[in-house]
Amino acid sequence: MSVRLARLRTASWFGWMVEGNWADPVLFTIYVVARPLAMALMLALMYRAVRGHAAHGAVFAGFYVANAFHAYVDRMIVGMGWAVFEEREEFETLKYVFTSPMGLLTYLAGRSSVKFTLATISVTLMLLMGWFVLGVHWDWARVQPLPLAITLALGLAATLFIGFLLAGWSLILARSAIVVLDGVSLGMFLLCGVIFPVDLLPRPLQAISLALPFTWWYEALRRFLLARPSTALLAHWSDLQILAGLAAVTVGASLLSLWGYRAFERHARRIGRLDQTTLF
Amino acid sequence: MTWLERLVLDLRAARARAYVRVVGTFREPQGVLLDAVFPNLGMCAFVLLYRSLGAPKSFEALAVVGGVMTTFWLNVLWGMGAQFFWEKQNGQLQLYFAAPCSRMAILGGMAVGGLAATVLRSLVGVALGVAVFHVRLAAFSPWWLAAVFVATMAALYALGMMLASLFLLYGREAWHTCNALTEPVFLLSGLYFPLRTLGAVGAVAAGLVPLALGVDALRQVLMGRAAHGLFPMRLEFAGLCALAGVLLVLARASLDHLERLSKREGRLTQRWQ
Repeated sequence: MSVRLARLRTASWFGWMVEGNWADPVLFTIYVVARPLAMALMLALMYRAVRGHAAHGAVFAGFYVANAFHAYVDRMIVGMGWAVFEEREEFETLKYVFTSPMGLLTYLAGRSSVKFTLATISVTLMLLMGWFVLGVHWDWARVQPLPLAITLALGLAATLFIGFLLAGWSLILARSAIVVLDGVSLGMFLLCGVIFPVDLLPRPLQAISLALPFTWWYEALRRFLLARPSTALLAHWSDLQILAGLAAVTVGASLLSLWGYRAFERHARRIGRLDQTTLF
Repeated sequence: MTWLERLVLDLRAARARAYVRVVGTFREPQGVLLDAVFPNLGMCAFVLLYRSLGAPKSFEALAVVGGVMTTFWLNVLWGMGAQFFWEKQNGQLQLYFAAPCSRMAILGGMAVGGLAATVLRSLVGVALGVAVFHVRLAAFSPWWLAAVFVATMAALYALGMMLASLFLLYGREAWHTCNALTEPVFLLSGLYFPLRTLGAVGAVAAGLVPLALGVDALRQVLMGRAAHGLFPMRLEFAGLCALAGVLLVLARASLDHLERLSKREGRLTQRWQ
């Protein structure tokens, strides 16, 4: 166990070096801060543009909060796929990671911790900006801390495991990995109803949406933080049922992702993709 | 070499670079499909946000036009700006400098090829807007649409050439700068809301970011008063033409300057920088 932790720590340290050694701290901070704040402001301006016609501000608050937490999905899922892509194509070191005692899975888990830190900075900044600048408030008396903590843990676990799946997929993808990774993040943004209720999706897409852990995650976050559900589709579910649903879908998705990762890895070995550069 | 021979050489170089870009885009069939569909998913989410907020239908059209234009900005950033980074990593950048043609011709070919491939993506966005979201537009002049579109693209791709010159000197710093320019430029360009909502910041952005002025002008051509335009459309068109000219001159100057600097510092062939 201690060996595994040491390897994880090493991978995290290495990940930090890869992520942060390219620029001076000021430039790095701008890079980390600019994207989430721009996205938050964009949503706020969209709401401002239609405020005269639009629904109550609480509806917007629900979307804003979910969008803030989507930074985890965006950074971690896409980031883990990118890590594979970078190691193979840019640095040409993926084969060495495979032959090291650490193994790719532990290495990816370590690299994800850096993505997690960066995503946490993004989420915190967006929530602070929402609270102090855009008026996205919640009633602290109505926040449910324990279910919220469980929700956060489950959502982050789902992010990590689906990140493994995409990293596995990146092993066999060539140049299109860039588009696929960003596309999956956008797909999640659309299908999981980050900034709109999933009731607006066509019925077949609603079914897919409910099979994804992040749909449940965002719904649970809205309930336990804002005390306000947003989706009519899940409105008749109690808080406990939502939590149980999130847990079930997360466990299912995680097991499937792990299986998928291993299948992709086997396939990549078979077709000789581990050290094949296709772009650079 | 006479000026005519130089021109022919540059045109041939541009055609060759455009050919590679188009063939490269269609090399992976599944990539073409994914490339066409995925970038438009964000647009769908923003249209549905307006729907859920109970906004008038015109705002959905506004988001569709903005969403379609994101594909061009992404191509300018990653297909133009970052291209020299890829070439440097590939060990191919030095070949561009050893070739007898102008670097502007290579970048011009890259722009034309990239533009052709990006049009496919934008057409998927238009199809999604019309078929899925039932966006309806007012009667518009196709001539004005073509003129504004061409002026916008000229200004945008000239900016892309300027960004590309940065990669002669820098490596990952410029790469991450491109990364950081995605959402902030979406914001400053008012891609998903009327530029007017930004107030004075919008007016400044219109003068600096060609995408802002281009999107606002295109919306005015396609949607008329419902576009909530910032300035009169003809004024914006003139601004775009001026921006295109200025940016082309600046791109040329920055390419020459950074080429000299990167040669002096020995960074042209430096990988993993």
